[in-house]
Amino acid sequence: MSWRTQVRAVLRICWFNGFLGLARSPLVLVALFLTPVSFLFFIYVLAPRSELPFGVVGGILFSCLFTGTGMMNDCAYLRLERQLQQVFISSPLRPISWVLGMALSQLVFTVPALVLFLTVLLLVTPVSALSFLALLGLIVLAWLLSASLGFLLSTFFRTLREIWPIGMIVFTSLSVIPPVFYPLAAVPADFRWVAFLAPSTFASQLAAHAVGLPVASVPSVPFLSSPAGLVVGLVGLTVLFIGVAMRFARWREP
Amino acid sequence: MDALRARSLSKVYDGRRGRVAALDHVDLDIRTGQLFGFLGRNGAGKTTFIKIASGLLIPTSGSVELFGVDVRTRVREVRERIAIVPQEGKPFYHLTPREHVEEYLLVRGASSETARDTTDRIVRAMGLTPYASTPAMFLSGGLQQRTLVAMVLASGAEFLFLDEPTLGMDPFARRQVWDVIRHAVRAGSTVLITTHYLDEAEQLTDELAVIEGGHVLYKGSAEALKSKVRREVRLHFDGGFSTQELTPFGEVYAERGGLTVMTTRSRVEELTRAALERRIAVTVGPVTLEEAFLTLVGRSIEEDEAEGGAT
Repeated sequence: MSWRTQVRAVLRICWFNGFLGLARSPLVLVALFLTPVSFLFFIYVLAPRSELPFGVVGGILFSCLFTGTGMMNDCAYLRLERQLQQVFISSPLRPISWVLGMALSQLVFTVPALVLFLTVLLLVTPVSALSFLALLGLIVLAWLLSASLGFLLSTFFRTLREIWPIGMIVFTSLSVIPPVFYPLAAVPADFRWVAFLAPSTFASQLAAHAVGLPVASVPSVPFLSSPAGLVVGLVGLTVLFIGVAMRFARWREP
Repeated sequence: MDALRARSLSKVYDGRRGRVAALDHVDLDIRTGQLFGFLGRNGAGKTTFIKIASGLLIPTSGSVELFGVDVRTRVREVRERIAIVPQEGKPFYHLTPREHVEEYLLVRGASSETARDTTDRIVRAMGLTPYASTPAMFLSGGLQQRTLVAMVLASGAEFLFLDEPTLGMDPFARRQVWDVIRHAVRAGSTVLITTHYLDEAEQLTDELAVIEGGHVLYKGSAEALKSKVRREVRLHFDGGFSTQELTPFGEVYAERGGLTVMTTRSRVEELTRAALERRIAVTVGPVTLEEAFLTLVGRSIEEDEAEGGAT
C-alpha cells in the first residue's frame, strides 16, 4: 500500500472510531469535560484569581494527556475484548497507521474540551497570536507523548481488569500530582526537579511561558528554567516515547 | 504451488504448571486455492497455528511460509496478502454492518467505488440486508459474528484465516456463510478454516487436518478419514443391549437414550438379526465424520494416557 493509501486509512480509522464513536456516544464528552472543569471550578472558588490561568492551562494539558488514557483503554479493548486490532493489523494496513488512526480518533474526543479551555484562556488572560501557536504546538506534543505511552502500555495487558488500576496510577502521576493545575512555585525550590520526572511538567512550564504566566526557576537544574531547555526536554521525551512505543509495542505475541 | 508450508512448527508456552507445548513439530502444506479445514478439540493447537501463520504470534521453533514468504522474517509482505477472522472476535459496538465492511475495505486500500459495490454484494450474500444500518450493539451475537465474517470475506485476500467463523450462528446463516466462503475460493482465495461443526468441515472443505495435543494426527479428505477408522457402518439400538455385548463388534457409545456401535459391513447382518430377535428397533447408516473424529482423537488420548501411565 502506498503512503497516500496509508494516510487515507489513518483518516478512515479516525472517522469511524473517533467521529462516529463520538456522534453515537456523546456521553463520552461529558466524562471528558467533567474532571478538568471540576478542577477549574475548585481553583476558581478556592484560589486567588491570579491562579485561574494556571487552572485553564492545566485543563488544556489535562485534556491532551487524557488522550493517553483513552488510547490505552481503547487499544487494549479492541485487542483483548473485540480482537479487532488483530483483524486490522493482519492486512495491508501498516501497524503505525493503525496507531496513528487510533491516536487521532482519541484527539477527536478531546477537541471539544480543548476548544472550551482555549476560549476560556483567551477570556481570562491576553494571549498573542505567536503564543497561541506555541500553545497549539504544545498540544500536539502532549498528544503525541501521551498517545504513544498509552498505546505502549495497552500492548502489555492480558486482561482488561489490569488496565483500570494501571491507568489510574499512570494518568494521575502524569496529570494531577505534577504542577499541571498549580504553579511550579508551589513546590519547594530544592525539590522542583522532582516534578520534571513527569513529562507533563515540561509541557506545563512551556505553556506558562507561552501565555506569559510567572514561571518558577529550578535552582538545582538551571537547564530546566529556560524555555529552550524545556523545549529540548519535551521534544526529546516525546521522540523517546514514540520510539519506545514503536520498538517495544507487541505487534506479535512472544 | 503451496499457499502455506509449515515445517517442524512448535510453540511452547511457559505457564504456572510448567512448559506446555501447544504445537509440537507440526508439518503442514496447504495448496493454493484449497479450502482447508482444521479440526481438533479445545486447546488442541488450532488457534495457535493460525496466529503463528498469520504473523500474530512468534513460534518457539520451526518455520511457516505463506506463498513462499517467511512469516517470521517478512511479516509485512505476508500481511499484504491475508485477512483473518479471529476466534471470538467482535465488531465495533457503534458501527453498522455496512459501515464495518465498507470502512474495512477502505482501510485495506480499496477505492470508494469498489468498497461500496463489494459492500452491497457481501451484505446481501450474508443475509445482513435487514440489519445493514443497525449499530452492532443492537444485533444478536450471531449477527455480530456474521458482520465480522462479512468484513473479512469481502476483502478478497489471497489467504483467508477463518477461526471458527460460524460460531453462534443458526443453521441458515451458516449455510449463507458457506456459500460466501465457496465464492471466495472460486474467486481465487485460499482458505484455512477451523470449526467444531464437523458437518461444516465435511460439507465445505477439500481437505482437512485433525490436530490433538499439538500434533497433526491426520491430513487428508473427510471420506478418507472415515475409512481410516476402519468402521464403515453405525448401528443405533433403542435399548435392549448392554455395552459389554456390543463392544466386541466395535466402538460403542451412548446416544439418544440407546447405544450406537460403529462396526464393519460384515457384522451388520449378525447385529440386525440379534436386534430383530429381541424385537428392538435398529437404525443403520454410514459412519459420520464426527464419529471418525471422535474415534481418531479418542485413540490418541488413550495412547497418551497409556504412555503417561507407563512412565
